[in-house]
Amino acid sequence: MEENFAFAPAYELPSWPFVPPPELASGQVVRHPLVIVGAGPSGLTLACDLAQRGVRAVLLDEDDTVGVRGASSRGICYAQKSLEIFERLGIFERIAAKGITWSFGRTFSGEEEVYNFNLQAASVSRQPPFINLQQFYIEWFLVERILELGLTDVRWKSRVTRVEPIADGVRLEVETPAGRYTIEADRLIDATGANSAIRTGLGIEAHASRSTDRWCISDVRFRKPLPTERWTWVDAPFNEGRGVWQHLMADGVWRIDYQMPEDCDTAYISRPEVAGARLREQLGPGVEFEFVWIGPYGYRDHLLERFRHGRVFFIGDAAHVVSPFGARGGNSGIQDAANLGWKLALVARGQAGDALLDSYDAERQPAARENLQVTSRSARFLAPRSPAEHTLRRAVVALAARFPFARALVNTGRMSVANDYPAAPQLPSGGRTVQNLPLREADGRETTLMQLLAEDTRCIGLWFAPTAEAARAALDATAALPLRLLAVGGTGHGLPALQPDERLAAHVGAGEPGSFVLVRPDAYRARVLAQATPEAIAEAVRTALALDPAP
Amino acid sequence: MNIELRIPDPDGFYAALLAAHEGRSEAQSADLNARLVLLLANQCADQAVLLACISAAAEEEHSTSPHPA
Repeated sequence: MEENFAFAPAYELPSWPFVPPPELASGQVVRHPLVIVGAGPSGLTLACDLAQRGVRAVLLDEDDTVGVRGASSRGICYAQKSLEIFERLGIFERIAAKGITWSFGRTFSGEEEVYNFNLQAASVSRQPPFINLQQFYIEWFLVERILELGLTDVRWKSRVTRVEPIADGVRLEVETPAGRYTIEADRLIDATGANSAIRTGLGIEAHASRSTDRWCISDVRFRKPLPTERWTWVDAPFNEGRGVWQHLMADGVWRIDYQMPEDCDTAYISRPEVAGARLREQLGPGVEFEFVWIGPYGYRDHLLERFRHGRVFFIGDAAHVVSPFGARGGNSGIQDAANLGWKLALVARGQAGDALLDSYDAERQPAARENLQVTSRSARFLAPRSPAEHTLRRAVVALAARFPFARALVNTGRMSVANDYPAAPQLPSGGRTVQNLPLREADGRETTLMQLLAEDTRCIGLWFAPTAEAARAALDATAALPLRLLAVGGTGHGLPALQPDERLAAHVGAGEPGSFVLVRPDAYRARVLAQATPEAIAEAVRTALALDPAP
Repeated sequence: MNIELRIPDPDGFYAALLAAHEGRSEAQSADLNARLVLLLANQCADQAVLLACISAAAEEEHSTSPHPA
């Protein structure tokens, strides 16, 4: 007998009103310092990051709600670096309360477990390695936080129809339910996603390619106690020997992703009765379930050669798209935003040189390139292209069951990391993330790196046991620079101080008395000085911020 | 990449390799070879040598192909 498959009631998503902007009535072309287009995860993160820093921006979005096509399937896995950014922006607690925290992943071949990982092992952060949450919740929390901060001019139902670079800025035409208007921006940030019409309009090549691999997503709610771990099958017996992904999201909804034959009929495989039969095969008889969303997808990728084109910046999917394995898409967009936000804030204040904005491209383009390479390798492991590739994968899986070394070759996605940045003028030895370490101030009060970074837009200088004389001279030498100088341990130096902390020292790669670490506002380590002098500290900050050397 | 002989008993090794393939279909032999490559690669444990070996093996196929394209 054929089963009937029920759908859960649709999510009720919030919507915000379209408010006719003053430009519509006045007809005047107003110039705004910063215009962000696109209220997805990257555009919202940037607007929120800027607002948190006290910087105003206009945010344009063609819709008036969160999510895409209602509560449809989008990103679900938020990585530690993204969560640390959300902590700094003040929405982490909401995400943690709503989402599913996890750190453990298992990979199966047939009935056998062939590989597992525990991301908690490498973490010293207050934030967990991952939280799963439907993307629309992240967007929802960001919008509410942005409205609470009150510095962003959020304009819903506002579609950008034309972008034109002008001598000292960008001119945009905006279409709204109440008519069209034109505005100008000193700087424009395109966060409109994979199909960016801004990018196309400016004639910028995205180097796109499309995979023939096909998947079907089933978001489904059922009552069967399964561990909150990331489970992947290279070749699941209940999916005709093809791949399957299984992840829990908020509200008891499981994301189950089935790899399909390349030549499948995408409409057929996503019919409720067809998807339901697959799920029944996996869950066994007697488990009740209801669908939240079903949809087929094929993935694609693209990567811009440059993320900055004069006064136009591309962030998130507008700049790069990778295959979904390892959650490197949305997380990368959120981290693009956090990379750019503080730079725009300091340049606007005249506390950093314009070349700092070039470093956005110099850091995030290679990060995206790395993510593209990593995800393409996973995609190729999961969808072998020739009999020889199938043979090699069979060998990997067979050996993995017997020998530890081969488990590392089983590749069902390498989870998103905070990418290292290459050496560059502002990062003489490259850049590396600093996790959100729990810290203690000298008087015993608890704090964290993110709490320290959430105040104002300054670099943090961690100076291990400085002398009083050097500390005084360093305060003088850096007085005009956006730097918060903190001593770690030591006495009598007169600086605000943190208690000595071996974990901090090991994590930032310093700790000897007199050593110094410069941490940027995006929690990246910009510099380590083995023996810091006041002049060297000032020089390190000026270098990191693309300021001319001190006279 | 070492190009001088390092296998103590070359004929014995070759005989053992042939023996392992005896009675196998072409597909089963291909599977065995793939497993062997991975096992040996892990013994080698030197990325540069591994890449040099992959290049050398790929070149050989092109230079000895009976049907040059």
